[in-house]
Amino acid sequence: MTSDSASANRREFLRRASGGFGALALAGLCEELRAAEKRPADPLAARPGHFAAKADRVIFIFSTGGVSHVDTFDGKPKLIADHGKSITASRWLNKPGQFERFLIKPRWAFKPYGKSGRKVSDLFPHLGGVIDDVCVLNAMHCESDGHDKATLAAHTGSPQFARPSAGAWVSYGLGTVNKNLPSFMVLAPAAPYAGAQTWGSDFLPGCHQGTHVVPGKDPLPNVQPRALAPDLQQMELDLLGKLNRKHLGDRGADRALEARIRSFETAFGMQREAPEAFDFSKETDETLKLYGLERGASAGFDWQCLAARRLAERGVRFLELIDVGSSNNWDSHGNMADHEKLAKAIDRPIAGLLADLKRLGMLERTLVVWTTEFGRTPFNAQAGHPGREHHNLCFSSWMAGGGVKGGIAHGTSDEYGILPAEGKVHTHDLHATILHLLGIDHEKLTYRHAGRDYRLTDVAGEVVKPILV
Amino acid sequence: MPASRLGRITGLCVLMFFGCVGAPALAAEPDAVAHFEREIRPLLVEHCQKCHGPKKQEAGLRLDSRAALLKGGEGGPAVVPGKADKGTLLAAVKHVGKIQMPPSGKLTAIQIAALGKWIADGAAWPEEKVSGRTGVITEADRKHWAFRPVSDPPVPAIRDAAWPQTDVDRFILARLEVAGVKPVAAADRRALIRRATFDLTGLPPTPQEIAQFLADDKPGAFEHVTERLLASKHYGERWGRHWLDVARYADTAGDGADYPVREAYKYRDWVIDAFNADRPYDEFLRDQIAGDLLARRGPPEKYAARVVATGFLAIGKRYGYSPGPDFQHLDFADAIDSVGRSLLGLSIGCARCHDHKYEPISAADYYGLYGIFASTKWSFPGGEEHKRPANLVSMLPAEETARRDKAKADGLARLDSEIARLKADRSALDGKGFGGGIDLGFEGQPLGKAPGKPWHAEGTNTVSADAQSPFAHLHPAGIRGVRLASGKATDGVRYVFENPLRATPKGTMHFAIDFRTVAPTDKKGAYRFYLGRGVIASLAVECSITATEFAVRSGAKWETIRKLEPGTWHTLQLAIDPAKKTYSGSVGKPGDLTAFAAKAVGPTWDGVIDTFICDATGHVAGAAPIRDLDNIALLTTPLPAIGDKPVTATPPTPDTKARLGKIDAAIAEAVKLRAAAAAAETYPLAYGVSEGIPTNARVQLRGEPERPGPEVPRRFLEILGGDPVPAESKGSGRLELAEWITRPTNPLTARVFVNRVWQWHFGRGLVATPSDFGIRGEAPSHPELLDHLATRFAKSGGSVKELHRLILRSRVYQLASAEDAVLLKADPENRLLGRFSRRPLDAESIRDAMLATSGRLDRATPGAHPFPDVNAWGFTIHAPFHAVYDSDHRSVYLMIQRNRRHPFLALFDAADPNQSVAERLPTTTPTQALHLMNSPFVHTQAEAFAKRLLALPGDDAARVRIAFEFAHGTSVDEAAVTDALAFLKAYRMKAAERGLKPEAQSLAALSALARVLLTSNAFLFID
Repeated sequence: MTSDSASANRREFLRRASGGFGALALAGLCEELRAAEKRPADPLAARPGHFAAKADRVIFIFSTGGVSHVDTFDGKPKLIADHGKSITASRWLNKPGQFERFLIKPRWAFKPYGKSGRKVSDLFPHLGGVIDDVCVLNAMHCESDGHDKATLAAHTGSPQFARPSAGAWVSYGLGTVNKNLPSFMVLAPAAPYAGAQTWGSDFLPGCHQGTHVVPGKDPLPNVQPRALAPDLQQMELDLLGKLNRKHLGDRGADRALEARIRSFETAFGMQREAPEAFDFSKETDETLKLYGLERGASAGFDWQCLAARRLAERGVRFLELIDVGSSNNWDSHGNMADHEKLAKAIDRPIAGLLADLKRLGMLERTLVVWTTEFGRTPFNAQAGHPGREHHNLCFSSWMAGGGVKGGIAHGTSDEYGILPAEGKVHTHDLHATILHLLGIDHEKLTYRHAGRDYRLTDVAGEVVKPILV
Repeated sequence: MPASRLGRITGLCVLMFFGCVGAPALAAEPDAVAHFEREIRPLLVEHCQKCHGPKKQEAGLRLDSRAALLKGGEGGPAVVPGKADKGTLLAAVKHVGKIQMPPSGKLTAIQIAALGKWIADGAAWPEEKVSGRTGVITEADRKHWAFRPVSDPPVPAIRDAAWPQTDVDRFILARLEVAGVKPVAAADRRALIRRATFDLTGLPPTPQEIAQFLADDKPGAFEHVTERLLASKHYGERWGRHWLDVARYADTAGDGADYPVREAYKYRDWVIDAFNADRPYDEFLRDQIAGDLLARRGPPEKYAARVVATGFLAIGKRYGYSPGPDFQHLDFADAIDSVGRSLLGLSIGCARCHDHKYEPISAADYYGLYGIFASTKWSFPGGEEHKRPANLVSMLPAEETARRDKAKADGLARLDSEIARLKADRSALDGKGFGGGIDLGFEGQPLGKAPGKPWHAEGTNTVSADAQSPFAHLHPAGIRGVRLASGKATDGVRYVFENPLRATPKGTMHFAIDFRTVAPTDKKGAYRFYLGRGVIASLAVECSITATEFAVRSGAKWETIRKLEPGTWHTLQLAIDPAKKTYSGSVGKPGDLTAFAAKAVGPTWDGVIDTFICDATGHVAGAAPIRDLDNIALLTTPLPAIGDKPVTATPPTPDTKARLGKIDAAIAEAVKLRAAAAAAETYPLAYGVSEGIPTNARVQLRGEPERPGPEVPRRFLEILGGDPVPAESKGSGRLELAEWITRPTNPLTARVFVNRVWQWHFGRGLVATPSDFGIRGEAPSHPELLDHLATRFAKSGGSVKELHRLILRSRVYQLASAEDAVLLKADPENRLLGRFSRRPLDAESIRDAMLATSGRLDRATPGAHPFPDVNAWGFTIHAPFHAVYDSDHRSVYLMIQRNRRHPFLALFDAADPNQSVAERLPTTTPTQALHLMNSPFVHTQAEAFAKRLLALPGDDAARVRIAFEFAHGTSVDEAAVTDALAFLKAYRMKAAERGLKPEAQSLAALSALARVLLTSNAFLFID
């Protein structure tokens, strides 16, 4: 509010509005009124970051269970050469004492791909095909070697306590451009470890929490109209709008009341737009083929990837794709051969997503991130054991598009992939970099809660500058 | 404060607090300062501070101030001024010790010399303004408004003496008059009763209640309404829910597997009852911290409830996998953080890794409290490793608990002996009384196959006439034995005795077997006879046999007893003396027996034998030879000597089968009784805390338990008195903690609570940061009013209901939520309370109001949740517990899950139970609108509401009017009635076009109208 006259104008307007103005005009004027107010009326309104952004949105891919780095993106010739040799791990495990371990070579061969010649294992041949757009991080590390803690750390920065998810922070920081869709959406057939805390908003306002889409016939709950017919629902909403406008008119402008009125208008739009986003019928065969998706399928990681592209096109700010839940996942303690079917399920869809984004010209402004809880031990307590254990001291992730250099690897691990050698990237650093590419200074995106200003990156995090375009 | 990363901030403050007080700053010599600025500061900045500065503190060390250098890190002070040979810094850069710095490469000799000179000259560092706290409580801290004693401020003078109804109003009006603005008019009666009814009960007023209030023109009509609402059981459900937000209540543990907490609801119901009973607040708090201890003081009828109250401490998010202390430091972090924020309005949790950066709370304060919680025994909900609850607390006094425990144990023992007697009878009857019966002679097994039940066999084992032993002193001469092939080490046969032999003081145990190695053999390895409990659990005796040698294990050693001949049958007899833990025996053939004695049984044998194994491992490595076994016996009576007549039971008589059937039925019945008795609740249990072993905690450097610092005595926060747990106390200190928190001189407890109550009435507290009264929290908008309320609250004996009366009687509570241009401009956030702030209904109120309006609300108290049977629990992080239980009860009774939130409650911003929630942050989202438009829940309520309306007499117009009364508490104007009637008519027509029958048309149309009413702003907001 700037002046009494503005207030008087508003009341005047509302009196007229309640007398029969259309909802659209009402919404328009409310915008103007709101613009005059100090606090943002709409926590989801799109707003700029701290500096010019390289990326407008994020597609964050999380592979549940812990993907082995030495079998995927971090080829270690010495590990193959020294297969079966025993080593004494003591400092690696940050514990005193002697630990005899036996080196285990990767099960899959590595081949060079693209102009860059970056080597990728036979688990990800399709991803190899787009490796020139990808920046691999081979010296990732995180705090915890427990699934739920590492999953929370990868998403919220805190391995222990409930904190807002990265997507919630981004939504809080930047809002969203399409009000007909949530700002933060999670496409996952099942919850990962730590359940919905993974995409929770915790102390941030609830509108920033991830909306969980379960692939299937009915991906968003309650988006299908339950009324007898569209025209009947329209009648209901017309009457609702009329009652609400009268109610608002009797009370003078109130942001909360206006927001609720608007939420119904948006929801009505979502009824149309959300199913449309999930309706792939207008996609060409060529596009479906990129992802390896069968026409008519309504689930699978290929479906999730194409849905992500369609939602990204429609302005969703932060999309997360999770391949599998907390069981039957990449946690290949018993037999690394299990990696094969999991890789097969995501390799082509992810490669398709990157290629599709690129040909649509979206990759430049879309940051795609792939990560996992942690890597897997390049060794085992038993010689020749077919499985690998959790390894949080060094693992691989990658980023693509949205201001990141392609065809490079940042950070290297030691000769066996046990510890980072150089270019260490902590989960906090990854988060800082994601925020940076979105135009957000991770040290400035704060929220006051319980006596202090909280950040996604806690008190740490450094932007990984060498990988920026 | 979260996580170990934060630990990096500094372990130094901790050390410093414990006496490593920095030396006073020098008035540095100008030359020395110049040397520092020219040579030393750039060096420190360039080579050291990246890892030992404001961003990172490797090894707990900072090298960016003189004080920090003096304090040093984990290895001690970095420098000792004037003593270049002391301190860690110079040693590290000289590479003389284990620590060699900087990691990028050794400094030049010139640089090292410069550093040495600087230290030797006194480590000059020009004085700088110290930022941040020093860890010591300052005078300014003590002067912080919230740490000053609660006062009883005089009621302020005001100009408009006619306006106030109560003293509360005078405090409010005084501020408004200073600001030069006038409050708005009073709310109308309909708005007021709707506001008060939702406020005090979380439910809408009924049309009758509205009518009564409107018709009551006597003075005190509103007080009458208030009293009625305070007396309603729904009051406790509403205000108990507020407390459950603060208490981070949930029905699951929140560990990775999210174990259900079956007893949690008892705490929830205790909270609701406490509000309904207007339990004095100090008592309410004391019971939640130390109810188990206070319960002992009586009266007995309060015992159970007080134990349940300690659920407040236990109910938080859990991190562990088993009842042990694996992740208890995190459980305690939750409890300390919650006690701090919910009861004291202090962020004590921030001092876990280091002294609080802003508040006068040290790590020693934190670990002083930590010791109290570490001295407490915590109920364990079940977890990944230990999948059952543990340490639940009996709700009965100790003596009665012990009496019932004993009665239960006695009852179980009686049943056990009854079952044993029946089984013995049965064994005697079917011949198993002797060494397990005919199956140990293999006579019940079909020839040519591996022995079947009750034998277990791995590898190639064949029942064969060739394997019949020639001896008949144990079992009658039969026609079968078993032949074991040479196979893997784990191949062989196993027999589990139906009646395990248990050691008794004088009861020798006797074992026998006939065996031979089949000749000829080229296999040189050993096979063994194992006797013990289970397969590996508890070894009693082990014999090892090769083709030519017989050995026994005595303790850890193998001893060879005699030579054997392949192809020859041998017999072995053993006598085990459990009292002496030895065994003796003889082995050989008739006329050629070798005796042995006083061999040690397995060192960890627990006195039970229920398993015999012969597999292919033993004192000599290699493949075991083919061997025959026969005539195995295990009994408590001495064995007949070789050559005696067999002693097995008489052959079955014709009625044996019938008698066996009867005994089997009796056994089954007894076993069922025993299972029921074992599973029966001995006494009611609570998920709370009890006393553990009193122990002081050690500071955990950077919050990491594996980095213990100095021990700290158990005590209260220094800023609130710092009282230690008295030396003579034999308890954990919780009893004292409860007193410290609730004593009248504590400046925080009452202020924090009256502020919460104010906030829950008005939507915002007088202190807008209700769980943070610290230096970083917001100052109160009306400090005198806050103290006035705290004082009145104390004078009423901590009566929460009296506090409600005080507030609801005031004019400020009864103001309209109308807009006022002057007020809006002067006070856009309504901190001065010149009007009532309109509020959205919270999640529970939306759901409850819909259920109430539809008529489907089940107003009973539902009790426990229908969790799966505890005996079936096997939840893991890979397959966590998850459930949503449908219910028409009030929302406070819904099952609140931590890791997968209830879909409705999460959508409408109910409290996230992972930590103490001070205020709901309502949001308005399209996904909420989708729920309101399309969810089965809303449609169900709307249809029920429509049916309720259809059942009423009268026409559509009458129905529309009453519908508005029900849903909005308003008397609808004629224009709206006309609109609604037109809507019904049009809707019916369209429904008719779709082929609906007239009755269905009416129901569909009224349901649609009901949906509109139940989802409109007049329903979803309170004026």
